[in-house]
Amino acid sequence: MLDQAFEALKTYDYGTPISELQGIEDAMVAAHADPAVRQDLEQHLIAALGSDISRDAKDYVCRKLAGIGTPAAVPALSKLLPIEANSHLARHALERIPGPEALAALATAAKELSGKLKIGAIGSLGARGDSSSVATLASLLNDADPAVARSAAMSLGLIGGSEATAVLQSAIQTGTGDKDSLIDALLECAESLVRSKQTVEAKVIYESLSGDQQPRLIRLAATRGLLACGARTAAS
Amino acid sequence: MNQPSTKRTSRATVAAGTDGNRGANRRQFLKTAGATAFGVPLIITSSALGSADRPAASDRIVMAGIGIGNMGRGDQGAFLGRNDVQYVAMCDVREANREESKARIDGRYQNKDCKTYNDFRELLARPDIDAVHVATPDHWHAVLVIEACRHGKDVYCQKPETLTLREGPLMIAAARRYGRIVSGGSQRVLGDYRHLVDPAWAGELGTIRSINVNVGPLPQLCNLPEEEMVEKIDWNMWLGPAPWGPYNSKRCSGSYSINGASWRSFFDYSGGGMTDWGAHHFGGATFICNVRELQPVEVVYNDTADGQWLDYRYPNGLTIHHNKPGSGNLEIVGTPGEQLAPKPVPMYKGSGGIYGDFIHCVKTRETPFRDIERAVNTCVLAHLGNIAYQLKRSLKWDAAAQQFVGDEEANRMVDRGRREPWQL
Repeated sequence: MLDQAFEALKTYDYGTPISELQGIEDAMVAAHADPAVRQDLEQHLIAALGSDISRDAKDYVCRKLAGIGTPAAVPALSKLLPIEANSHLARHALERIPGPEALAALATAAKELSGKLKIGAIGSLGARGDSSSVATLASLLNDADPAVARSAAMSLGLIGGSEATAVLQSAIQTGTGDKDSLIDALLECAESLVRSKQTVEAKVIYESLSGDQQPRLIRLAATRGLLACGARTAAS
Repeated sequence: MNQPSTKRTSRATVAAGTDGNRGANRRQFLKTAGATAFGVPLIITSSALGSADRPAASDRIVMAGIGIGNMGRGDQGAFLGRNDVQYVAMCDVREANREESKARIDGRYQNKDCKTYNDFRELLARPDIDAVHVATPDHWHAVLVIEACRHGKDVYCQKPETLTLREGPLMIAAARRYGRIVSGGSQRVLGDYRHLVDPAWAGELGTIRSINVNVGPLPQLCNLPEEEMVEKIDWNMWLGPAPWGPYNSKRCSGSYSINGASWRSFFDYSGGGMTDWGAHHFGGATFICNVRELQPVEVVYNDTADGQWLDYRYPNGLTIHHNKPGSGNLEIVGTPGEQLAPKPVPMYKGSGGIYGDFIHCVKTRETPFRDIERAVNTCVLAHLGNIAYQLKRSLKWDAAAQQFVGDEEANRMVDRGRREPWQL
C-alpha cells in the first residue's frame, strides 16, 4: 500500500485524485505507535523530495515531513528554501522539526536569502520562538530592505523574553529599523515578561512608551500594560 | 507593498477618537484634508450635520469592509443600513466585487465617495476609519485582525475567526494590547438557540452533564487542476498566507459548499464543515452550557462500530460530544429534578442584532457578545476535533500553555507556516 502510494507520487500533480496517496496517509497515522514505520516513511519521503516529482508532489511531501520529519530530513528540506516554488512548504516543515539542525537551516536562510524568501525564513524563526535566534534577527533590524527589517522586529516580538527586549530597546534608542514594528514587538515582549512574572522589566518597557512623545495608541497600550503589571504584582 | 507613511498618524488619530475624542479628531482630519489637499474651503453638507434620525458625521462610526463576497455583502448591508455608521471604503481582490460594492455604497449615500482597494494595507492606513469588518476566507482572518488592531481599528470578523489554534491567542493579544473591540461574527449563537439557552440559564435543566454537536465534514486537501482565469482577481493576494495553488474557480468560490465546491471545503483556507458550521453549533453549545470562557482539557477519540466520534471534556465536568451516534444536534443531558439558581442570559447590546452589538461596543468600549476570546474558545473545539480525527487518537490539551500534553506530533499541528511575506 505504501509502495503503491509512493509510486503514484511520481506522477502526482494538480488534478490527480488524492486517494492515490492514501497509503501515505495511513502510514502517517501508524507512525505514531511504531518508530520503525515512522523511520521508513520518513526515508521514503526524503528520497521522494530529492527526485524529479512535480511541485504539487513536493508540496505534499513537505506537508508530511512537517508531521513526522526528524533532523534527518533537514538537508533535503534546506535545499528547497532558495527555490521560490518550494520554499514556503519547506519552511512549514522546518518550523516543526525539533532540534538545532532545522533551526540552523532557517537561520542560514534568513541570513543568506533575499527578498520574500528571506522574509519567509525570518517569519519562521519567529514562529519557532527560540531565543537562540535573537542574534540573527538583531542583525537584520537595519537591513536595507524595510520589509526585512519589519519582519525581523515582528519575529523578535514573537520570541519575547529579556534578550529580545534588550535588542528592541537598543534599536529604538538608536533609531534603527522600522519604528512602528519595533514598538509593537517591544509591547509584545513586555506581555511575555508579564506572563513570566518579570513585572519589573515589563514596567520599564511600558514606562518608556508612556511619554507624551509617543502616539496616543501606544501611550494607551503602555498604560494598559502598567495596569496589568500592577494587577500581576498585587496577585502575587 | 510598502506600509504607507501615514500609519503612525493613523494609530494616534483613531486611538484618540475611540477613547472619547472621536468627533474632534475626525473633524480635524476632514478640515485638514479639505484645506491642505485641495486648497478649497470645507463645505459642510446637511448630511454631515445630521438630522433627527441620523447623527452628525462627527458622531458616526466610520467603517470599511475587507472581503466583500457572499458573507461580506450581508455584513456590509447591515452596517450600511445603520444611520450611526458612515461606510467609506471597501477592499476586495476581485474587481467585480469592488465595482458592485462601490455602486451599492455610493447609491446609499447618493455620492461617489466610496474608495475601493485591492490591498488591505492601504485601507488600514487611512486615519479616518474607526472600524473594519472582515469577511475574507478564513486563512486571512488572523493577519487582518492583528494588522487592523495594530492600526487602531476595531474589528468585526466573520466566523470562523481562526484557521489554527495558534492564531487565537495572537489575535486576542493584539486586541487587548491596543484596547480594540474585536467581535466575532456568528449571528446564530444567540439567534438560533434561544429555546435551549433560556431553560439552561434559568436552571430548569439542572446541572448539564453533556451536549452533543453534529457538524462536519473535515477539510480536505485541495488538489484541483488549473483553470483559465475568467474573472479579474488578484490571485496572489487571494492566496495570501496560504500555500500557492493554481487558480481554480472552485478553489476560490465563496459559495457555501463544504463538499469540494468552495474554499470552505479545503484545508489551506478553512477547517471545513467542522469550523464553518462548527463556529455556530459549538458556539451555541458552549453558550447553552455557559462555558464560553473555557477550553476543554481533553478530546477523546472514539472509534466504534457506529463510526468515529469525539468527547470534549471540560475542567468543570461538562462533556461536549461531537457526532455521537444516535444523538441529535444540541441534544442536552441535564439533571432531571434539579433546579439551579437562574442567571440572566447575556444578550446583544444596542439595537440591530450582532451588528448593533458591535457598533454599540465600539461607542461604549464594552465587551461584545462574541468577543474575540469567546470566538477563539469556540473555534478551539473545531480545531482540536479536526486534529484528533486526523491523528485518530485522543489528545490532552493544556489551555494555559496552548499545547497538547505529551503528543509532539499533535503539537506540530497547532499552527502552519505562512507563505512569504505574511506573518503574524
